[in-house]
Amino acid sequence: MTTPPAETKPPAPPITITKTAEPSTLDVSVGPQHPGSGHLRMLIRVDGDYIVAVDLDIGYVHRGCEKIAEYRNYVSNIPHLERPCIIDAIHLNWGYVLPVEELQGVEVPPRGQYISTIAAEMNRIMSHLYWLAINAGVFSGHTTIFMWAFGDRDLFIELAEMLTGARLTYSFLPPGGPRRDLPFGFENKLTKLLDYFEKRLVEYDRIFFSNPLVVARAKGIGVLKRQEAIELGVAGPVLRGSGVKYDVRKVEPYGAYADLDFEIPTYQEGDSYARFMVRFDEMKQSIKILRQALEKIPKGPIARKAPLVAPEGEATGRVESSRGEYAVMVMGDNSDKPYRVKIMNASFRNLIALPYLIRNVHVADMPIIYGSLDYWPVEADR
Amino acid sequence: MAQVALPREEGIINQLKGQFPEAIKETKVDRARRVTITFDKDHLLEIATFMRDQAGFDHVKGIAGIDYPPHKKIEVLYFTASFSKPDIQDLVVILKTELPRDNPSIASVVSVWQSAHFHERETFEMFGVKFEGHPDLRKLLTLDNWDGPPPMLKDIKFPEMGQR
Amino acid sequence: MYALWPVHITTACCSAEFGAMMGPRLDPERFGLQAVAGGLRQCDLIIVEGTVTKKMAKRLKIVYEQMAKPRYVIAMGDCACSGGLFHDSYSIVNDVDKLFPVDVYVPGCPPRPEALLSAIVKLREKIRREEVFA
Repeated sequence: MTTPPAETKPPAPPITITKTAEPSTLDVSVGPQHPGSGHLRMLIRVDGDYIVAVDLDIGYVHRGCEKIAEYRNYVSNIPHLERPCIIDAIHLNWGYVLPVEELQGVEVPPRGQYISTIAAEMNRIMSHLYWLAINAGVFSGHTTIFMWAFGDRDLFIELAEMLTGARLTYSFLPPGGPRRDLPFGFENKLTKLLDYFEKRLVEYDRIFFSNPLVVARAKGIGVLKRQEAIELGVAGPVLRGSGVKYDVRKVEPYGAYADLDFEIPTYQEGDSYARFMVRFDEMKQSIKILRQALEKIPKGPIARKAPLVAPEGEATGRVESSRGEYAVMVMGDNSDKPYRVKIMNASFRNLIALPYLIRNVHVADMPIIYGSLDYWPVEADR
Repeated sequence: MAQVALPREEGIINQLKGQFPEAIKETKVDRARRVTITFDKDHLLEIATFMRDQAGFDHVKGIAGIDYPPHKKIEVLYFTASFSKPDIQDLVVILKTELPRDNPSIASVVSVWQSAHFHERETFEMFGVKFEGHPDLRKLLTLDNWDGPPPMLKDIKFPEMGQR
Repeated sequence: MYALWPVHITTACCSAEFGAMMGPRLDPERFGLQAVAGGLRQCDLIIVEGTVTKKMAKRLKIVYEQMAKPRYVIAMGDCACSGGLFHDSYSIVNDVDKLFPVDVYVPGCPPRPEALLSAIVKLREKIRREEVFA
């Protein structure tokens, strides 16, 4: 088949699969065991080589985090609330701890804010490298970038281990501030790593982002126009790749971001290549933020002691995680366990873009669009 | 702490109160950039359309349910914000309403805010709230995972989780 | 029977450390491990990485039964061994060995990639012992 099927009637609402199938279509299950997708299942309706509609089946990693959170106290909640997006654990930790600190009236001292910012930006680089390796690399068949990105990511993980003691699951920010101060020699090692990584980004550009094969596969595919992105309520690089300049670090600054100077990369085209480039530019901005934070970090205490209980009330806090905006509402009831924890993460909000974008595209475009959205199933399922 | 004037937050409250005097029950400015507005559930679609068209709140970040067994009610919260209007981009307005606990049902806002599609499905399966007018209301996360009653309700206790 | 090819199925968050093991730092290809995207009939190892929900358990069982014998199972992470951090949740299968027989258990949350690689080495020794006494 060389031409897409003619659309004779107005297209059905993009979210659900139409109940009456044409005789020429075939329903294929792109299931949890698939080299091109993570632990979610997409039921795609295929007409020749074109995907006509997509129905999503998620919940393969639904572990009931919000229910468990009501049975553990505020500090014990941190390990299992940072597991949903394990490669981005600091942001999930921080997003949960911000409303808890607001309820308890605890203010983190400036040095603690800077240390949290340094850990968060390192985590952003690590998460984007994982995205580059798996979602943009392996799903499109580019295994060299998988090897390179995982090699560089391990260097950042070593530094994170030096700072927090763990490779991926740090539990670094209890309410009140970070657990540990910067160890001796950390600034030198981080500066050397940033100098090395900046040179590596030039090579990544040459082998992946300017690679004519990648450009041909990703440019013009999965276009999300600006008004559609606003209506669908997507978040993160999906939003910024469609021309909406929105980043919680600038809109509602937290941590040390109000004192640091950085830009928000935004692209207007809205296709998969624009979303790739947003994340590439974000890595460069993270290097800039890390360098400034290391220079400007003040001296002083890093944390204040927080009480074990939280008073009655509701608080909503949000951070900009690697995948987008991460907001948490915590409701306290004068005890040491929260009454309700509601998590609103970017992957769940971006879910609506999947059936919207994967329509009337070749089957081979599906992994590219899926990879450019950076959908992390564990985070969306909680 | 000195009372800081919060004109934008107060402005939204005054706009809503002026337009729907009988539907708005309670308003509160929690702090800078956070406003909570409690309204009557029958006026949901009018208020949502006003928020989207007049006030510029164009998307929903999430829909939460909270269960209060002693008060026999389930609260539904809509976290709305604005992408398109730069001067109110940092506000989060939380629209809150109460539903009776034994038969919770409310109109669906998917016709106003398309971003609410999957959030309403999740609140349906976790709390049992029926959203009338939703094009595809079925289980999302607990499809093969849990077959019992809606798990987030407070009286569904899991004994292994310990005491509250 | 010295080169084990794992099936490309990710279960939960431990898959981040499985990915790190497949990277250039540890290079599992010197032990014969290759992530072959060909299909699961050519694979002989399932690594259950992380929490197994009831929904995923049904699909894991189907995948296990579709693999050709001899087939081996590594339970990676605390959640696969005994439930782990989420052991009291309503949608979790706590013991993976109710689904299929497990050969090697790797504790940790998540286990270090070196631990997973040493589990692969132990599994190869176990396979060698089996053949001798067959």
